[in-house]
Amino acid sequence: MNLKLNKKDFKPFLQTLMDEYDLFAPVQLTEGVSVYKKIDHPGEVDLSTANPQKPMKEVFFPQSETMFRYEKVGEQNQVVSTEEVKRERIILGARPCDIQAVSLMDEVFSGKEYTDVYYINKRNITTIIGMACGHPFSTCFCSSTGGGPFLRNGSDLFFIDLGESFLVEFLTGKGMTFQKNKFFGEASTEEINLAKALEEKALHKTDASVPVKGIEKRLDLMAESPFWDRVHEKCIGCRVCTYLCPTCHCFDIVDEALTNKGQRVRNWDSCLSSLYSLETSGHNPRPTNRERTRQRIMHKFNYFPKNFGRIACVGCGRCILYCPVHFDIRQAINWTSAKRLKLQRGEPLTNP
Amino acid sequence: MEDHWEPKILAFLCNWCSYAGADLAGTSRIQYPPNIRVIRVPCSGRINPLFILKALQSGIDGVLVSGCHPGDCHYISGNYVGRRKSATLKRFLEYLGFEEGRVQFSWVSAAEGGKFSQVVDEVTQDIKKLGPARRFVKKIGSQ
Amino acid sequence: MIQKKIREKAKELLEKKVVDLIVGFGEWTLPLRTTPIFIRTPEGADHLIWNSFCENNLATYLHKFSHFKVGVVVKGCDARSITALSLEKRFKPGQLYLIGVPCQRMVDRRRVKKAVKGEILRAGEQGDQIIVEGEDFKTALRREDFLYPSCQVCIHRTPRQANVLVGDPVEETPMVETHPEIKEFEKKSPEERWDFFEKESSRCIRCYACREVCPMCYCAECFVDSSNPKWIEKSLSPSDIEFYHIVRAYHQTGRCSGCGACERACPMEIRLTYLTQKLNQDVKELFSFETGIEAETPPPLSTYDIEDRQEFIK
Repeated sequence: MNLKLNKKDFKPFLQTLMDEYDLFAPVQLTEGVSVYKKIDHPGEVDLSTANPQKPMKEVFFPQSETMFRYEKVGEQNQVVSTEEVKRERIILGARPCDIQAVSLMDEVFSGKEYTDVYYINKRNITTIIGMACGHPFSTCFCSSTGGGPFLRNGSDLFFIDLGESFLVEFLTGKGMTFQKNKFFGEASTEEINLAKALEEKALHKTDASVPVKGIEKRLDLMAESPFWDRVHEKCIGCRVCTYLCPTCHCFDIVDEALTNKGQRVRNWDSCLSSLYSLETSGHNPRPTNRERTRQRIMHKFNYFPKNFGRIACVGCGRCILYCPVHFDIRQAINWTSAKRLKLQRGEPLTNP
Repeated sequence: MEDHWEPKILAFLCNWCSYAGADLAGTSRIQYPPNIRVIRVPCSGRINPLFILKALQSGIDGVLVSGCHPGDCHYISGNYVGRRKSATLKRFLEYLGFEEGRVQFSWVSAAEGGKFSQVVDEVTQDIKKLGPARRFVKKIGSQ
Repeated sequence: MIQKKIREKAKELLEKKVVDLIVGFGEWTLPLRTTPIFIRTPEGADHLIWNSFCENNLATYLHKFSHFKVGVVVKGCDARSITALSLEKRFKPGQLYLIGVPCQRMVDRRRVKKAVKGEILRAGEQGDQIIVEGEDFKTALRREDFLYPSCQVCIHRTPRQANVLVGDPVEETPMVETHPEIKEFEKKSPEERWDFFEKESSRCIRCYACREVCPMCYCAECFVDSSNPKWIEKSLSPSDIEFYHIVRAYHQTGRCSGCGACERACPMEIRLTYLTQKLNQDVKELFSFETGIEAETPPPLSTYDIEDRQEFIK
């Protein structure tokens, strides 16, 4: 069944959600920069950018998360674990790429042997309202990675922006519990047709030409290729791509201690950091940026597929937009298919 | 804030002059406010700006760095190098928004027990007026 | 044309084996951007380009290629960074060849993006204008209105330290005693100044892009990664983030060339140059020193003058 929500009712609608749920949506921190945050009032929601800098995974997997605190009281150490989140949550405005990424992370964090209680707790109490991408960027290549701007997988509800209103689709049992919201009205045939037209248009805009197909096998043959000597050259080894990537999920656990109290914190970590694989002996199996860049690309397109059956990239394009030295992962993937011979002649890897 | 807040002030004193000057103040039974905690360093040039920032982050309300007078440094030029670091750091911290007077510097020689107590007195009064350091302090559990 | 001269020079250097490698700018997949490229053959030199989007400081790559003889395309600020690095003995004599380009100042691609509605798909330059095109728009913007903050206050745009200049030296803006922005900022109260710093740094995600793009940040172990002593934690606690930015900026005292690469690299658009500009100004006022201008003058914090100012010392 298709319902619609008029945009003039959007803020009151959000208020009805906020009365019962904690609402997470993109919030602008400064012009051009937004992140997913808990909303205190409906006016904070900013759906004007295609994708916030920081991905949706943050709602389930915060960049810094305290696992427990301890304090010495007398002679005893008192440990207080972080409370389970009880109040249910809604994420509004998540794009299909970020939602795909979370489905990927679900397999990592709720595997058969190990479950991450911090992640699972938040994941289970969250309803996802996906937002279709009517205006993908030229850097979006979700169609190459098995996704798409109107992909509904993983969303409980799905909003399509029609201009004056949103078309609302109810995709799961969880989503259907919202059908009775007083601000939803019946969608007209014109509105439904408009949504279909927008979907067609958007599908043509995203880049479906990136040769991701077969990359796992190509990379199998390339572990020691001189390809990596060139690919890593301009990478400076910061962490922008890993922190803004919706699928990256490595973390580091540290104890922060003052004299009599402290806390155990989990922070995002990046394989591009020189410390990431540094062993206590001083040996580092990935001593230079070359090995680390290789590891990142191999992990996303070779190791992860071997373990989980899909590549660890959803084509959101953030790494392309925000890399300080303008590394383009699409180029790197292109190069795996065509230019190895050229590399041996020492030609630069530039846009042909 | 409690009525009886007393500032905690960290004093980095160079071993050869300022620390000896502080000792002299003690043996001469000159009174000065008990708010300072002394850390003895070989030379005022040893001071790494990281020490001062770490102190402020830990909740210390004020920092005093004191060394030998120019020309009298036990290591010849340590205090000169320290002077340049102090000048640039002080200006930078004030630019950022640390109140003027939170971090102070002095030259106190081994013979200046009186001056030492006077400097400590002044610094303590200044910090009392500024109030407790609040804005940069790290709190466990404030994520 | 500057671009032609850069290519010719690069070709010559590679043919004569003066250098093993040239680091320069090449065309990229996105508009308003170039990308660092690494040329090893004379034919490859044709990939080198020059325009108002050559925003990276290529000096930062010299640490990575320290065992090669390297030619670098440098703007004024990049050349000053390299001079500063040479003073710190990061290079052997004769290891570098600087292809100097008098800089027309670089365009702030983020502000250009915000000036139009819709995604920019193509961009080019025509005289003193930037032409940007999207799906349903084509706009001309005045170049001078969209320069990076660090470029707006730059007064050493001609890399005089370079081995060769591939263009005519630029007429320099007259020196200003105080950056107008700093003067305005200093009028605010300490509370307001800290509010600004706190707000800017609250967006930080500890990606260290600012640190990695900076040519002067090359410590084998950064203070951030030190665990004994552990100065700061790695979490997003506001205090630790502020500590990181204060110290990273302060480590540039007397070393920063003012290139602005840190600010351009930040994905969260944090204002960073307002910190380093203040340090540069103080160093000039206190020690009459400007980074990278003189190849022989030692960095100010590694030396001293008996007559240094000390009015702030009791």
